[in-house]
Parts: sequence; C-alpha cells; structure tokens
Amino acid sequence: MDFEASVKQAIYHSFVHNSRGPSVDEVAGRLEADREAVAEAYRSLASQRVLVLQEDGESIRMALPFSGIPTQHQVEVEGRRYFANCAWDALGIPAALHKPGVVTSRCEQSHEPLRLEVSLEGPEPSPWLFHCLVPAAKWWDDVVFT
Amino acid sequence: MLFFRSEEAVRQWCGDGGHPVRPLVGMEQLWTLAEAWYSKRLDPDYRRPKPAEVIEMLHRLGFLGEFWDPTSKALG
Repeated sequence: MDFEASVKQAIYHSFVHNSRGPSVDEVAGRLEADREAVAEAYRSLASQRVLVLQEDGESIRMALPFSGIPTQHQVEVEGRRYFANCAWDALGIPAALHKPGVVTSRCEQSHEPLRLEVSLEGPEPSPWLFHCLVPAAKWWDDVVFT
Repeated sequence: MLFFRSEEAVRQWCGDGGHPVRPLVGMEQLWTLAEAWYSKRLDPDYRRPKPAEVIEMLHRLGFLGEFWDPTSKALG
C-alpha cells in the first residue's frame, strides 16, 4: 500500500472506530510519518474527491459516507453513532460497514422524525422518499450543498 | 439529498422554496444506490469509479434520464 492509501485507511479507521475524522497530527503519529507529508496526502485525497476538507485545509468535513461534523442524519451501528453527510450517505454507512444499523433523520418539510432499520439486506419496508435537488452532473460543483 | 415523509411533502417543500421536483426515490432503491456506491469504500484497494462506470452503475440500478447522467448539461 502506498503512503497516500495508508493515510486514507488511517482516516477511515478513525471514523469507523472513533466516529470522527482524525487530525493531521493524529495520522502522522499513527503512521510515524512526517506531518507535512500527511497534510499533503490530505490535500491530494481532497483533490481526488475522496475527502472534503474544511476551510482550514486540514480538518475533515467529509470522508464519504462519513461526516466530520454533526448533521441531521445519524446512523447507529453496534452501539456507535455516526453522522452522515446526506440521506444517501445515511444508508451508505451500514453499506460501507457491512453491518446492520438504525438511521435517524427527519422529513425536511414537516420535520417529522425518521427511524429506519437497515439490515444486511437493506432497509425495512418504508414509505419514506429520497429527493435530491442537484442533478448528477453538478453534484461536485458544491458538494456541501448537494 | 434529503429524506421526505411522502410525495406530498416533497412537492410542498419544493413549492415553498421555488425548487423543481426531481425524481423521487424509495428507500429500497436508495439502498441499491448506497450499496453499489459504498460497499467497497473502506477496502484498501478501493478506487473511485470512472464516469463511464458511474453511468453504467446508475443505468443498471434503474437511475435513468438526464437528472442522473453525470455528463449531462441539460439541467441547471
């Protein structure tokens, strides 16, 4: 595995086990690597749309499907709570972890709460809907809005 | 990319905000998308799919039309 792939795996390891994105310093310590090399790997992964960084250029806003900041879309898997970036990613977290989970969110119109159990085969029967305002061709024009 | 209780809620929200109503996706179909998109994301050798692969995946899962075409310039 090359260095950048190791950084990516360390980032996902932190999200999976700590429910949050690691700082550059944490990853540098974990990999016993140079801090600036890790920071450069963060920037490179962001340029490849693997990560979305916050304005400071180092803090992780998204490591899809995980969110580095609290959102309205939460997923509980084996007693651990994760934040997802959007409705799609909320189902993406159990899919990525290959584990059942419970998605909690809300109806954007009525704010009625959603609780959706997701097994390894998919979600329980539900009349709820997913709606995306932004066409696929423009998802990455402003991925935070999307 | 949001959840809604019903089609009526989507239409109300879009109307209130002056937004177009986009294709509606049920939870089972969203799961197929989530699984196809994310099930290998944590693998060490995962690589992002190329645009042609994304189009093929979306077509295979039934996400058809200009809205779901990542190469389309038809929708603003």
